[in-house]
Amino acid sequence: MNLDLTPEQAAFRDEVRAFIRERLPQDIRDRLRLGHLPRKQDTLRWQRILAERGWAAPHWPRAYGGAELGQVERIILLDELQRAPAPVPQVFNINMLGPVLLQFGTDAQKARFLPRLASLDLWFCQGFSEPGAGSDLASLRTAALRDGDHYVVNGQKIWTSTAHHADWMFALVRTDAQSQRHRGISFLLIELRSPGVTVRPIRSIDGAHHLNEVFLQDVRVPVDNRVGEEGQGWECARFLLANERSGIANVGACRERLGYARELAARTRRGGRLLSDDPQLRHELAVLDAELRALEVTNQRFLLSPSAQAAMPAFASVLKLRGTALQQQLHGLLVRLGGAAVREHVDDEDLDGVPHLVERYLFARAGSIYGGTSEIQRDLVARTLLG
Amino acid sequence: MDFELNDEQRALHDSLTRLLSDRHDAETRRRIAASAAGWSEPLWRQLVDLGLAALPVAAAHGGLGGRTEDLMVGMQAIGRSLAAVPLLGSVAMPAAALQSAGGDAAGRWLPALAAGEALLAWVHDEPDGDGRGDWVALRAHPDGQGWRLDGRKAAVPHGGSAQRLLVSARVRGDDGDADGRALFLVAPDATGLQRRGLRLIDGTPACELTLQGVAAAPVTVDGAVADQAIGAALAVGMAGCCAELLGAMELAMALTVDYVQTRRQFGRAIGDNQALRHAVADMQVSLEMARSMAVLAAVQADRPGDPTARADLHRARLVVDRHARLLAEAAIQLHGGIGMTEEYAVGHVLRRVLVLETACGEAGVHVAAVDRSVPWNFALIE
Repeated sequence: MNLDLTPEQAAFRDEVRAFIRERLPQDIRDRLRLGHLPRKQDTLRWQRILAERGWAAPHWPRAYGGAELGQVERIILLDELQRAPAPVPQVFNINMLGPVLLQFGTDAQKARFLPRLASLDLWFCQGFSEPGAGSDLASLRTAALRDGDHYVVNGQKIWTSTAHHADWMFALVRTDAQSQRHRGISFLLIELRSPGVTVRPIRSIDGAHHLNEVFLQDVRVPVDNRVGEEGQGWECARFLLANERSGIANVGACRERLGYARELAARTRRGGRLLSDDPQLRHELAVLDAELRALEVTNQRFLLSPSAQAAMPAFASVLKLRGTALQQQLHGLLVRLGGAAVREHVDDEDLDGVPHLVERYLFARAGSIYGGTSEIQRDLVARTLLG
Repeated sequence: MDFELNDEQRALHDSLTRLLSDRHDAETRRRIAASAAGWSEPLWRQLVDLGLAALPVAAAHGGLGGRTEDLMVGMQAIGRSLAAVPLLGSVAMPAAALQSAGGDAAGRWLPALAAGEALLAWVHDEPDGDGRGDWVALRAHPDGQGWRLDGRKAAVPHGGSAQRLLVSARVRGDDGDADGRALFLVAPDATGLQRRGLRLIDGTPACELTLQGVAAAPVTVDGAVADQAIGAALAVGMAGCCAELLGAMELAMALTVDYVQTRRQFGRAIGDNQALRHAVADMQVSLEMARSMAVLAAVQADRPGDPTARADLHRARLVVDRHARLLAEAAIQLHGGIGMTEEYAVGHVLRRVLVLETACGEAGVHVAAVDRSVPWNFALIE
């Protein structure tokens, strides 16, 4: 057993740190440090800088703008980005659609989309959930009927993050009206400027606009924009979800928030004393530090050890359960440290320089809901143990 | 990074699992616990024959290398079988201290420990202490050519079976000082040594010691050498506790998975109910966190003087102790009434957890160590 980085891996980590130190725009870092989520412009600016090294799409082939990083290097890069804190490469483009195109796409689709996904010249969102299909995704009803060399799409998607920023949406649609459940589903790329597409905002409890409803009415989608065979959509979706594993624990993001909590505690006086002098708080911070170390090593163990994966096939669920629980705990702690002052509501447009702890806490409630709720994750773990 | 066991470790794991599942079932365990000695010398002999006692001892002293990650395989198997054997406290920890301190005592006792011919009880914790390394109130006074010890030590597991006691004592300074500690060997029949035999809640035989003018042979009276030796023993001890707790958790998990699939109520297996399934899933999450930290502890235990490694050992104890308690409590809950009975193994896991979580430092010690190791300014981490 050996938990050390090789000299090459340690050098890579130093290279990433130096790159972030030199190139990450200070205003982006400052905003993220205060608890804001990256704005579209932040992600665009930073991802184009990352693209110079191929780090915008770290695990993709070089031919399509990637860097062909191995698993350890991927863990290092993501960890350092999150710790900085810097925006991470846009997940729908890079972690979800890119790998699906590489696996199932035609050469023409790869050539057309992959470089522009990496450079963020195209912004994709994910159209999976529907009003009647959340955890039970396979009950989706959005229909795509063949009409010559087009599909005509009718239906509704919901909880679509960043649809208001997006140029395109990858979506699961039912191409066989007679089909049940997982069969008859296809994976389509839909241009959001197409006639018949309406995007409506959903305000979430943090007061911000992340989520949307996307209505599709007689939207004509060229058959060329189907990824994989007709009816292969569920396979694509499963592959996509399996690929999401490598960032699912969000260790670096937790580490950054814990560091910020310590920093806040060390400079915040309340009731005449520094928060960092409170033994109860120090106890809590130490336990969180230890628990986070456990998540970090577990993440490495599962992503790097074939025998660990074989022994717990639902390892991604273990990582998501623990990761989201720790994130929510950390955001709760930060709100406590922020005190009454952070309960002030600040408008989206007037964000700069204002800590955004209570909004992040509220937004973090979504962590155990999206990408498979914690209840679904527990079901998956239990199934591997109990059948 | 490499998380796989090597070939020797896998072979050891397999033979230990075979031996302990064949020879150490629940009935045997009960018979051993009820015996006067409270542990099984024949079982210990078999473990010695598999090389377990030699694992923590360096090759130069007749051992198998002294790597804690090898020891981890042994401690995990012991935890899984709930066997009361003196590997950690009477072989591995004193071996680590003697190897660190060096000198005549190391040359004299390490080969005997490796061969399983001797047990040396690690005698450090005190009734007023919290298990940390620098809390030593027991005093050592020079007396002519030798030394005499006065003071008390808390329950020493297997302390009644040792050929010698390896005792931490203070030659100068205040009770909690890092400097001024020393290590001595004491014969179990020395004049002035009182031993009160007792059983811990998990059945482990132990004894409390009162020393009044007891003649003792110094291993080292150099404060710096003693500091490192005590640190080495506690590092191995902490990693060993983590591995043993991991094994005990695996046992509780296996029993629970089996039970909820077998036990039927309302016409179906209780494991068909989502509430129970989710509780089992949470147990698995705890188990995975503990497994990672037991591995980390084993690797970091062999890095004396590395402050990051030291802090990781304390992190490991915090995580493993906490999740072991959660898992063992949940295991009893999912078993229902049968989990409350003394004859069923799952409750014994919780008893074992209760004993191990105060060995080699109580929770407060680990919290304080982690707290001290992390800077308040995040940028300092870079």
